[in-house]
Amino acid sequence: MNLMIDSILVLLMLAGFLLLTSARLTTCIKIAALQGLMVGLLPVAACGSVLTYRIGAIAMVIACMKGLVFPYLLSRTLRESNTIKELKPYVGYTASIFFGVLSLLASFWLDSRLHLPVAAGSGLVIPVAFSMMMTGIFLIMARRTAVNQVIGYLVMENGIYSFGLAIVRDVPLLVEVGVLMDMFMAVFVMGIAIYRINREFDHMDSDQLNSLKG
Amino acid sequence: MNNGFELPVLVALPVLFAGICLVLPSAMAVLRFCVAGAVLVAAAAGMVVLAVFRGPQVTAAGNWLRLDALSAYHLVVMMMVFVISAVFAVSYFREEISHGEFEVKRARRYGGLWFGAMAAMMLVLVSNNLGIMWVGIESTTILTAFLICIHTTPGSLEAMWKYLVMCSVGVAAAFTGILLAAASAGPAGMHSADALLWTNMMASASKLDPVLIKAAFIFIVVGYGTKAGLAPMHNWLPDAHSQAPAPVSAIFSGFLLNAALYCIIRFLPIVEAVTGNSGWGREILVFFGLLSVVVAAVFIIGQRDVKRLLAYSSVEHIGLVAAGIGLGGLGSFAALLHMFNHSLCKTVSFCCAGKVGQVYGTHDMKVTTDIIRKVPVWGAGLTVGILVLIGVAPFAVFLSEFIMLKSMVDGGRFWLAGIFLSGLGIVFIGALRHAISMAWKPQADGATAPGKFPLLDAFLVFVPLAVLLALGVWIPSQLSVAISRATAVLGGSL
Repeated sequence: MNLMIDSILVLLMLAGFLLLTSARLTTCIKIAALQGLMVGLLPVAACGSVLTYRIGAIAMVIACMKGLVFPYLLSRTLRESNTIKELKPYVGYTASIFFGVLSLLASFWLDSRLHLPVAAGSGLVIPVAFSMMMTGIFLIMARRTAVNQVIGYLVMENGIYSFGLAIVRDVPLLVEVGVLMDMFMAVFVMGIAIYRINREFDHMDSDQLNSLKG
Repeated sequence: MNNGFELPVLVALPVLFAGICLVLPSAMAVLRFCVAGAVLVAAAAGMVVLAVFRGPQVTAAGNWLRLDALSAYHLVVMMMVFVISAVFAVSYFREEISHGEFEVKRARRYGGLWFGAMAAMMLVLVSNNLGIMWVGIESTTILTAFLICIHTTPGSLEAMWKYLVMCSVGVAAAFTGILLAAASAGPAGMHSADALLWTNMMASASKLDPVLIKAAFIFIVVGYGTKAGLAPMHNWLPDAHSQAPAPVSAIFSGFLLNAALYCIIRFLPIVEAVTGNSGWGREILVFFGLLSVVVAAVFIIGQRDVKRLLAYSSVEHIGLVAAGIGLGGLGSFAALLHMFNHSLCKTVSFCCAGKVGQVYGTHDMKVTTDIIRKVPVWGAGLTVGILVLIGVAPFAVFLSEFIMLKSMVDGGRFWLAGIFLSGLGIVFIGALRHAISMAWKPQADGATAPGKFPLLDAFLVFVPLAVLLALGVWIPSQLSVAISRATAVLGGSL
């Protein structure tokens, strides 16, 4: 099963890089959906042969939400707006790739320094999780369109989720459900927020949202 | 008392009321219902708080819900803020209803989200599980986001988006901290289902992994600190506070920030126990606290918008509370007293600022001059409120700041005392300048018709200010006992 975890992790990493270079928002949403789907599969791969109902059910729910529901919500908001492409990001795509490489290196370095107790089956999980968190925060800061910022938030959440999977054996069910519901609501509310911003401003570049200062 | 029904009821009541708000027939009915609901929840909370201060604590749901002296004290502050905000909202929105700007649909949404936010904050206070506490804080972000833009304007949408994104990211970082804390329980051999319970972590603190707990604390301070408005993560705060309607700003400033800070200080005793009371965690709080005071002081000087001024003052005061708790002992006592004083005064000040803004049609302090004559009650309330906030004696804020200073000097930490005093000095001068010109500078056109003096409004404004005056002179022994017990939870001895 180790091979399966490792291949999922490599795909997660690649998805992060693709997000850093893609300008078309529909492509970004699709990549984020794929990444979410794979993050959902991660616990199934990590548990090896002892697949319990609980792990299976949670994996299903997460894969559905991150892989289907969130992307659907995002593409719906996108359809109602006129934005197709991220035209002028704050940080260009070449520079973004450099950041991606640097963040990956930094993640491996951090992992080698921290000696975190790894509960999941692969040593790659923690560095990949770190790099996803950094990529997510980077996307939020470096992109103008609100949809891309939500995608950044999703990528960051994916990173935190994988990180939790790697270091905590199992979180109480109630807490897990609460966290999932909150994340779902957060993305949902962001979707409504974009819709309202869109209606008010006729576009959804968050760089127009800069009149409040001081 | 164990497995009682009180704590679940405290969370369930606001949820129920939120549902009721959605079906009420008129805007005014929603606002009146908010008052009734807040008073009812406050009465229920008051009974539980009394039980906490009589006995050791109140727990429920198999120790997942728990109210001890620290959270009970926070609960008192919270209900005070919500009741004042509810009563004031009637007066504030009545004006907007008469202009047709606050129709039924909007009012229902307001009421539902308002009670929802109350339930979420209640969940934060009563939960003993760090994970559920996180769920509560994240819910407050989601629920309060649309309270900011009850009136859809470009400014309010911008503030809402900034708030939503910054606080979601910050609170997500805090979740990483909670995961690290859960991982630290590995060597202690705890069953993972119980590992996140605060009482269990305290009980087996000696077995937790110190490196992981330290890492967790850093994530928690930065993460929840974003929501609490500690500098340099405070950027969303002035926008959200200035764009939200005044009763909402009052809740934001009066308790939302405290709720996030509560999550940080709840974690502090664990860190202190794990690191052998080395003061490592406390130093971090002192650092972020004093940094917030200095940053806020700089921004207060050049402010033009009165609500932004009050927002930066919140950054300052949350910083003071964090720093005071970092000092420990007498400092923690002063910090908790300060939290009460600040929440009470800031709630009233935001309410007054909102009404003054309604009369003048702007919050620009260059325009809102001669407020005491034109809007006697709210103008005087705002002026006195700002004076109290900048620490004019003999009001209670002065007293708590003075005790904090004493605790620094007693500890021989003169550098900190120096930074503390210069920060407060800059705020004092900067805000006093604004307050004087607002209060007495004649209007540009010269003539100001003196405004009316409604008694009911005066009651709402001056009773809290009188309480602050009284507390500055004399602290009832019940209050000081309550604060001492809350301080004891934080692990400091007086």
